[in-house]
Amino acid sequence: MKGQNTRLLRAALKKYRKPMAIGLATLTLVDLLEVVPPLLLKDAVDAAVAGSATRALLRLAGLYLLVAFVQGLCRYAWRMYLIRSSMWAGRDLRNRLVDHLFGLSAHFYDRKRIGDLMSHATSDVEAIRMALGPGLLTFGDAVLYLLTVPVAMYVLSPRLTLFAMAPLLLIPFFVHWNQRKVHERFEALQESQSRISAVTQENLGGIRVVKAFAREDAQIQKFAALGEVHVQTSLSLARVQATFGPTLDFTMSLGLVALLYFGGKDVIGSVVTLGTFVAFQRYIEKMVWPMTALGMSVTYYQRALASSGRILELLEERTNVPDPVVPAAPVAPRAAARGKVEFRNLSFQFPGSDKKVLRNLNLVIEPGEKVAFLGAVGAGKSALLSLLVRLYPVERGMLFVDDIDVNDWSVKALRDQVGYVGQEVFLFSDTVAENLGYGVKNLVLPESGPHPLVQEAAQWAAVHDDVLGLSEGWGTRLGERGVNLSGGQKQRLTIARALARQPSILVLDDALSSVDVQTEERILQSLRSRNGRNTELVAAHRLSTVRDADRIITLVDGEFRQIGTHAELMKDRRGEYRRFHEQEQRREELETFIQDGGRP
Amino acid sequence: MSAIDHYLDVEERENRNSGQGLRSWFRLLGLITDQRGTFAAGAGLILLGSAALLAQPWLLGRAVDIALRPGKGELLGQLALALFALNAIRVAALMAQTYLFEILGQRVMQRLRIQLFSHLQTLPVRTFDKNPVGRLVTRVTNDVSALSEMFSAGFISIIDNLLRVLGTVLLLVWLDWRFALVALAPFPLLVLLSIHFTGRLRICYREARAKLSALNAFLAENILGMRVVQLFNREPLHLERFHQVNESYTSATIRTVRTYAYFQPSITWVSGVSMALVIGYGGVQVSEGRMTLGILVSFFALVQALFQPIREIADKWNIFLAGMASVERIFSILDWPREVDVPAVPERASGIASVKGHIRFEDVWFAYDEERWVLQGLNFEIQPGEKIGVVGHTGAGKTTLIQLLLRFHEPQRGRILLDGRDLRDYDKRSLRATIGLIQQDAFLFSGDAEENLGLGRTLDAESRARVEPALKKLGYPHWLGTAEQPALELLERGSNLSMGERQVLAFARAASIGPRLWILDEATANIDPETERALGQVLEASSGGFTSIFIAHRLATVREANRIFVLHRGKLAEEGTHEQLLQVNGLYARLWRFQEPVDSSEAKEFSPAPVRPPGA
Repeated sequence: MKGQNTRLLRAALKKYRKPMAIGLATLTLVDLLEVVPPLLLKDAVDAAVAGSATRALLRLAGLYLLVAFVQGLCRYAWRMYLIRSSMWAGRDLRNRLVDHLFGLSAHFYDRKRIGDLMSHATSDVEAIRMALGPGLLTFGDAVLYLLTVPVAMYVLSPRLTLFAMAPLLLIPFFVHWNQRKVHERFEALQESQSRISAVTQENLGGIRVVKAFAREDAQIQKFAALGEVHVQTSLSLARVQATFGPTLDFTMSLGLVALLYFGGKDVIGSVVTLGTFVAFQRYIEKMVWPMTALGMSVTYYQRALASSGRILELLEERTNVPDPVVPAAPVAPRAAARGKVEFRNLSFQFPGSDKKVLRNLNLVIEPGEKVAFLGAVGAGKSALLSLLVRLYPVERGMLFVDDIDVNDWSVKALRDQVGYVGQEVFLFSDTVAENLGYGVKNLVLPESGPHPLVQEAAQWAAVHDDVLGLSEGWGTRLGERGVNLSGGQKQRLTIARALARQPSILVLDDALSSVDVQTEERILQSLRSRNGRNTELVAAHRLSTVRDADRIITLVDGEFRQIGTHAELMKDRRGEYRRFHEQEQRREELETFIQDGGRP
Repeated sequence: MSAIDHYLDVEERENRNSGQGLRSWFRLLGLITDQRGTFAAGAGLILLGSAALLAQPWLLGRAVDIALRPGKGELLGQLALALFALNAIRVAALMAQTYLFEILGQRVMQRLRIQLFSHLQTLPVRTFDKNPVGRLVTRVTNDVSALSEMFSAGFISIIDNLLRVLGTVLLLVWLDWRFALVALAPFPLLVLLSIHFTGRLRICYREARAKLSALNAFLAENILGMRVVQLFNREPLHLERFHQVNESYTSATIRTVRTYAYFQPSITWVSGVSMALVIGYGGVQVSEGRMTLGILVSFFALVQALFQPIREIADKWNIFLAGMASVERIFSILDWPREVDVPAVPERASGIASVKGHIRFEDVWFAYDEERWVLQGLNFEIQPGEKIGVVGHTGAGKTTLIQLLLRFHEPQRGRILLDGRDLRDYDKRSLRATIGLIQQDAFLFSGDAEENLGLGRTLDAESRARVEPALKKLGYPHWLGTAEQPALELLERGSNLSMGERQVLAFARAASIGPRLWILDEATANIDPETERALGQVLEASSGGFTSIFIAHRLATVREANRIFVLHRGKLAEEGTHEQLLQVNGLYARLWRFQEPVDSSEAKEFSPAPVRPPGA
């Protein structure tokens, strides 16, 4: 498991081994040079004690400057190589993750929360980057200091080294103890933070209910209690963190005390020079950082492993509508079959659910035919149409498009054939022209205006005039931060978007529900004028949308109940269609009545 | 880079308005005032710790001068003990100070969080129509956290480090002011460099943050619109765009790295010059006998120790500024006006608990946006105990009526009387607490059933007594929990319950407060007829004798009402019993004829027609 989780770290290290090696090399140089200044101080003190050593002292000062200069250069280099590489690695990982996300199917997105996915792509990637940059740096520092400083000390005085370093042996125990505590409490802190966030979200979402019941006080109390938990969790983490650093520090200072006592005796007894004493003091102070760094690098590493586990889990998700090994689609389908659809014993249930949404459906739809599905919410209309573009896998029974099993189509090629307009209207933060040209291959927007296909599609979808009426016409920005369009305008734009890609099958899944009856009539008429250009599958709950279809099918509980033209279905006095029609008429009557101002 | 531009706008706008610095400072100080004991103790500990820290190089210097010579060995033990004591004090002070300031920071944060949350509870409903919930949640969570970081990591650390710098400089001057002048000669350069790079870093950070939020916006939009991206085979194009956005963010962060990469060496060099001066000047002074060795040794340690705190200050300064931006955002929300809540004539607020439920609308006009009148001179009167049905087309003003009764909004013209008193004379919250409201979308909270009924408050015996029999009758006796069975746990928004069950819970929630006035706003629109019938019976028992108002689309729901109001375009178009209204043969009659077949017959009663072959 752990070996698995280091995979991402190893891959990044491998890819950026060159700059990282340069970074680590310069870092090594910096750390090796760190040994030198105390030695210079030692010589300076000894020379000063000896008296009249001006030249020697100036030489030492010059050397000190030189070391500082080289160290400065190397510090620039390791930052630019090591830390920058880590940022590149982070970028790569984000790209890879998002690339993967684009390949996952509807079932995945039905299950996942958008906030979680975003936090994987940002926080988790950042945790891995931190391990590669600052983590590697602190680890390198720790190792290099630990390897060099004690050696220099040992050369100067083995005896003092022993005394000064003895307290150091306690450090690994502190580090180990601390990591466990910090990790536990950090998790608890994250948990309480997200509880606060969730409760706030819920409270503000339901603020009207809270107000209507005048329960603001109780809500505030509940929130305050949660906040208090957060305070206590933070404090328990703070207790650990407030003790850790100072404890390390204190252990080090024990070395200083030992130095003063034993080193002082040695100086008096002329076993070591005063310069050595001074150098030791500097060395002991230098040992504080690698000890802390050791602890930090372990934390970086642990966090990276946890994040890495989450990211790998995501990367292992597979789409449940994979491309076939040998896609059949690239072979140009026979012209005669363009737009043909066939259901053969087709059944369906959503992945992970055992409720049958479609039951054993059989139907052949000829190219150019217009077929409408009519049924209540939950009857299975949307599920049926979503199978056509393989949003979900077809596993029971078969579904053919252009006489080819959809499972043999490459997903891309299949979706190129089908212009699918769903219930949800989603437009991107692009211009109108770009949004409508969304499915047009090799779209190049000419300077003078939108692509001809786009313009034509906008006319068919009866949204052309609306676009011209926008403040910046075709160049108007849409999306969350763009202009506000009405629901009906948005819906017509999505229809135009689908038409612009010239599909051989047009699927309108309840796509006319938020346009008014007159506009609907205009759209239907212009679609009718396209007669035969493409097969048209329509799901609706408004009769006007389906009336002129070649065949109308009523769907109840995932089964086809009636199939026929408007006239045929009307003959069945007890059928759903007839009932539906009567209700619709009354509604129309009512609407006209209301239009007239409520006077009978 | 065009792909990223569009996502940048909002962040830019937010960065621009931060103009009330000083005032925020005072308000922030106001939050600390009752923690001033803790603050003073912490400050004292900082002083103590800094003193103990600075005393060490000095002590070492003294040791060199007085103890490290033959015959003075006995002093060493005392000095070592003193050094140990100094360290013990320093470390203890550091621990205590860190912890104290954490307590202080957490307390302030908790206080501010509650203040913010409480304030949000008092804002008028209108405010929530205009501000997305997500952004407000960010204020309560992220901004408060940023504030805490600013406090513990920023503010305290800056003060601590400033003290250290100041103390070190003073000590150096006190030890030997001429030597100090020489050693500190490069110091002004260092300060200038720090100021310069701190400014540069701030710009870099801001840019990196803006790019990050652009990246987030891109991700959010694409994950949300993933289906469209995939159906239109746009994955490659969008991935390319993401690469651009990602690249632009990465370059921004690398610019930060580069700035640091210049900053750090410049500190190394300046400090190198300083130390070289100490070695050269001090060494010569000592070797010629003009200065003691102890002072030189003290200078070595002190000058080295001077640079770290300066770097820290530079680092923390930016955290501090980011925190101030959060503070300003938080305070700006605290300045949003509350709902006007105090009755004009407070003593008349009494008596709300025993209202009889007489309601009178007198020429009530209301518009949400000052342009389109939703209610246009509404007049009616409801007698105590009456059961009133309100019907009408979408947009006729049915729900607005309730919003006004609950005083979520106030009418622009005319007035509403409850028991003969203007609604505005009652205290808003007491008024709402007497109304049992059940809505179509029963907004439920996560937590157990009891928490839901009390909306965070535990139910008292009285409320329990009101609810329990009703729940039993509806077939959910175990919801509130029994000795053997824990109470029902709800997921977010009650998603683990069916529509009907949610409505039962919403009904129990209303019943628990013992309302004197019942309002059902499309309460049974989404539930099956059986549950509707059962609910109706229990409601009849609970609301007996009290005024109740039913708003409904489905006319069968209001058929039994004493009177039915038909609203049309903000006016009362028709009024009467079901039979009377049918006779009038107006709007109601048409609505009835439209709906009747749906209500009187179920789809299941139709025999399934055989599937005919195509073209038959």
